[in-house]
Amino acid sequence: MIMDFEEVKELVPQRYPFLFIDKVVELEEGKRIVCLKNVSGNEPFFAGHFPEFAIMPGVLTLEALAQASIILFKKSFKKDDDSNAVFLLTSVKASFVKPVFPGDQLFLEIEIEKVISKAAIVKGIARVGEDTVAKTTLTFATADRATLGKG
Amino acid sequence: MNVEEVEKEVTSIVAEVTELERDEIWNKRDADFFKELEIDSLLALEILALIEKKFKIQIPEEKLVDITSLTATINMTKEVLAESGRLQEA
Repeated sequence: MIMDFEEVKELVPQRYPFLFIDKVVELEEGKRIVCLKNVSGNEPFFAGHFPEFAIMPGVLTLEALAQASIILFKKSFKKDDDSNAVFLLTSVKASFVKPVFPGDQLFLEIEIEKVISKAAIVKGIARVGEDTVAKTTLTFATADRATLGKG
Repeated sequence: MNVEEVEKEVTSIVAEVTELERDEIWNKRDADFFKELEIDSLLALEILALIEKKFKIQIPEEKLVDITSLTATINMTKEVLAESGRLQEA
């Protein structure tokens, strides 16, 4: 294991019930990361999705991959003054191959495709065991929190 | 790699990103990406990344501002390929 849950929380701003990384299992700075999310039957989203048929929403698998990307970026490109920097997901291409159920161990793998100073493109794959459950290409931009409109 | 191949591949990439037909984007090759084709800087980055991958080249970040139309993008790609000695003149 590379990073435990407490270390993950130091880098990912999301919190319960919206933090979808339990630990980091592989990390090559500037290149790739693999994170783990243990999907429990107790996840709050299963209460509504669906009451009689628990299945993890695909968009939350994408959110988990996006959170893995945040860890990879923060570990790879350290900046002293980034306390106000926020990551904005600006474009998503995704396909959902198989459903994710309670009890599944979700491995979230991100590889950097292209990075420039204020944006990046990554490829992500979510796996349960050997099976790919989702594939995606995510584009991120970073922005200063202060410049984001609230209206 | 010759000039025609570069034109063809870059047109395909821009068609893919803009979700326009190849012929349509080719007819609009001088149209301004930002003002006329609703391409923003992040889509331009996507185009740049796809060009890098297709031609197996590294394009410096400064070149991102050259991605302003299909013609400009083709010219930028030719320039980078020429610099690395991989462009055959027609």
